Amino acid sequence: MSMIDKLIAPIDKTLERFDPKWQAEHGVGGLRSRYYDKTGVAKWREWRGVKDTMVDYGAWMKNLVSMALMVGSAPIPVMKGFWEYRWMGSFLGTFMFIDRLFEGYRGKELVIAHANMHAIVQSLTKRIAFVLKNDRRLGGSVEGSEKIIPHDETITPLFLKGFKELTPFPLQTLPEFIICDVDQHIEPYYIDVAEAYGLPADVCSRCAAETGVAIDDAFPLIGKAMLSTNMPCNASEATSMFQRRRIGMPDFPVTLAMQHNEKEALPYSRQTLKDAIAFVEQEYGVKYDWNEFFKYAKLINEQNTIELEKWDFFKTPYSALTGIAETLYRLYSWQSVNGQDPYFNKVDRKVIKIMRKAYEQKYQAFGGKTRHRAFLWGPSAVYYTDFPTWTQNCWGINIVLNMDSTMGFNMIDTEDPEKAMDDLTRFTEKACMRHHAVGGWDNVNAVWDWAREFNCDMVLMNDNIACKGMLGVHALMEEQARDLGFHFIFVEHDLEDSRTVSRQDMRNCVNKYMDVVLGEKPLDPTLVEFDDSDAY
Amino acid sequence: MKKVLLVCLKLLKKLTLIALITFVLTFTLYITNGENKLIYYVVRPLLNKHYDSQVRDRKI
Repeated sequence: MSMIDKLIAPIDKTLERFDPKWQAEHGVGGLRSRYYDKTGVAKWREWRGVKDTMVDYGAWMKNLVSMALMVGSAPIPVMKGFWEYRWMGSFLGTFMFIDRLFEGYRGKELVIAHANMHAIVQSLTKRIAFVLKNDRRLGGSVEGSEKIIPHDETITPLFLKGFKELTPFPLQTLPEFIICDVDQHIEPYYIDVAEAYGLPADVCSRCAAETGVAIDDAFPLIGKAMLSTNMPCNASEATSMFQRRRIGMPDFPVTLAMQHNEKEALPYSRQTLKDAIAFVEQEYGVKYDWNEFFKYAKLINEQNTIELEKWDFFKTPYSALTGIAETLYRLYSWQSVNGQDPYFNKVDRKVIKIMRKAYEQKYQAFGGKTRHRAFLWGPSAVYYTDFPTWTQNCWGINIVLNMDSTMGFNMIDTEDPEKAMDDLTRFTEKACMRHHAVGGWDNVNAVWDWAREFNCDMVLMNDNIACKGMLGVHALMEEQARDLGFHFIFVEHDLEDSRTVSRQDMRNCVNKYMDVVLGEKPLDPTLVEFDDSDAY
Repeated sequence: MKKVLLVCLKLLKKLTLIALITFVLTFTLYITNGENKLIYYVVRPLLNKHYDSQVRDRKI
């Protein structure tokens, strides 16, 4: 025990009754006790003991500084952004969002979670300032705006880094892809805009929300020409068409092969990427530079090398990176950053060091309270980002790995453009929501191999009720789970529309299985049923 | 030399005091969840009122 630990031990002992985890263990409250009903607003922040509360406070301060820097770097565009765009208002919920994500986290898992989260916050705040500064709708300069290549959020931006003079920017990330994680009430507004225009109410809510953002003129106006796509699935083609009509810029549809596992698909997808490069060269009058591209390919290769080492730790009970801290970071750092920001490499190096140490010390996250190890399949309900935190805190179900964490992990050649192009194509085809959801039965069915490889006894399958493709495989997956001996729970949700299936409805899917099928008691009874319908 | 040392000491005292006051203020805001209460109950309702009053041309 270190000197500091000895000093704070009596304080921790005196204040332990304020720790919600202690309260749950002693039957005098729990993690939900400190909230005002429905709102998700906590009366006070979680007391985690002196050391962990200080870690959380330090992280809060760092994030606060990032936000202040964002406003300071572009005060007028940021203020105009808040005034113009409804989704900007939702970003104010970020602190509450982070609190929800890491509720119940202590020790090494808390340190890692905040390191990962701060990487996202510092990146996002810079991006918000950058895009608002160059947004023509807010008075940004044409010259600055035309150095940006807006592209669909599901296109990996890495291949665009060969354009030294240009900055790729995922167009939907700010108004839709990220913000629906932070605020469950934002996308229903845009979905309603799209449906009021005549879009059927039973389409994928992600595509509906994106369409609504376009019709509501809530996309920042940036760039000279854009790259749209058919990824992750064919529903995206429709929303791309709506966006193209509304935004009115020349666009190139990067249509990658759906059946992407087949060898014959590679030349087709490869040519599409080449054509996309040619399109940018023509529209922007710039030349592609492979050496510039290789610089960034090296960064993503390093990240993927570390990622594969992380996976070895995930297979054991001694991984300090776990749950949403893993899922959200991988999703953002791979899909959105994609080798463009060396800060993420720095964070990965730091995190892997902590993970190695934790493994040596046989450190178990969440005080060793995990009862089940689960693989989380499928695009999660993004209005319920802290769902993995809830499964652990309430029932001891640790989400070891999420489907989207298995996105493109192949290495990219950093010397030969021809080889690099092949690698890049394979890498790009395995983008967000594609690896196990698109491309044939083998891709979907691989969930069992992944679950087995990561020593999971449980598979949670996110059941997007508006995903026409996946609705067809329900019964097949249930049969497979029974035959292979996995605990298997379908978690119904409506991706970005919390009105159709609420967070409590989602929790009930797990509650029923744990109670009725497994006959287990919750770790924290205050978390079994509560109303958070008015929370962000 | 003594004078420089004294100035340094004074400066250190001032900096420590500023750091302490900053810590007390920010930690109080943090532990009482003050910023989130302000955002949830005051800022967002005002912003939402503004967003709801915006007139958008939604013709395609």
